[in-house]
Amino acid sequence: MITLGNFIALSGIIFTVGLIGVMTSRTVLKVLLSLELLLAASNLSFVAFSKFNGDYAGQLIVFFVILVAAAEVAIGLAIIVVMYKRLSTIQADELKEMKW
Amino acid sequence: MQYSPFFFYILAFVLIAASLAVVLARNPLYNVLALVVAIFSLSCLFVLLEAYFVGMILLLIYAGAVLVFFLFVVMCLNLNTLNLNSAAQSRFRVFGTTVGLMFLALFGLATKSFIKAQALEASSIRGTIETIGQILFTNYLLPFELTSLLLLIAIFGIVSLAQGAFSTGKDEPIA
Repeated sequence: MITLGNFIALSGIIFTVGLIGVMTSRTVLKVLLSLELLLAASNLSFVAFSKFNGDYAGQLIVFFVILVAAAEVAIGLAIIVVMYKRLSTIQADELKEMKW
Repeated sequence: MQYSPFFFYILAFVLIAASLAVVLARNPLYNVLALVVAIFSLSCLFVLLEAYFVGMILLLIYAGAVLVFFLFVVMCLNLNTLNLNSAAQSRFRVFGTTVGLMFLALFGLATKSFIKAQALEASSIRGTIETIGQILFTNYLLPFELTSLLLLIAIFGIVSLAQGAFSTGKDEPIA
């Protein structure tokens, strides 16, 4: 029998993997991809709570999260393209123009 | 409804393996393709939870549009040859992994008592297009309309950023 705990544990594992990815990856593209993992993990726990509590609000929040994430990814990738044109790299360490 | 443990464990295994590949694979192309696999298995898990509408939206928007956009950017920038000299690991590697595992331990401690406290039975709700749409266009109409405004602003931002990408870096007027 699969219970709520299984889904929450899976969501925690995915979130941890994404968190490690955000903190350890060197390229901006990989940071964005790991952020998608964070969003996916939280979406999973939202849907699991929605199912086990009998409330549709969790699934609606997931819907809005997906829409906002689409906008965020589009902006992020545009910034990556601009960064590559200007600096010819997408290493996050190279973004030090504002460093005094 | 009766959950079948077999499908859950198969999908959970695929999801964990794909998300590990997103973080650990060295080729950016493989990172993106692993995320496609992860999103696909997540969508299957949503169907297992009877959230059909959200599962299909996830498949259409994420795997269909967002990740293809990622693939376009990876291929346009030709990152495969770019990153080969980045053999040096991040300085935050040990630190980041430690913080991540500490988060997992804290998460497990926090949720263990909570999950034990309420042994919830799965409810009988089904997130079909009909039920989700009915709530979306009544109780959640204002956030839904505001989302369109957000997407419009995102389009403005992307267009202005893309114009900057094709200038030479100096402040020259854009034709």
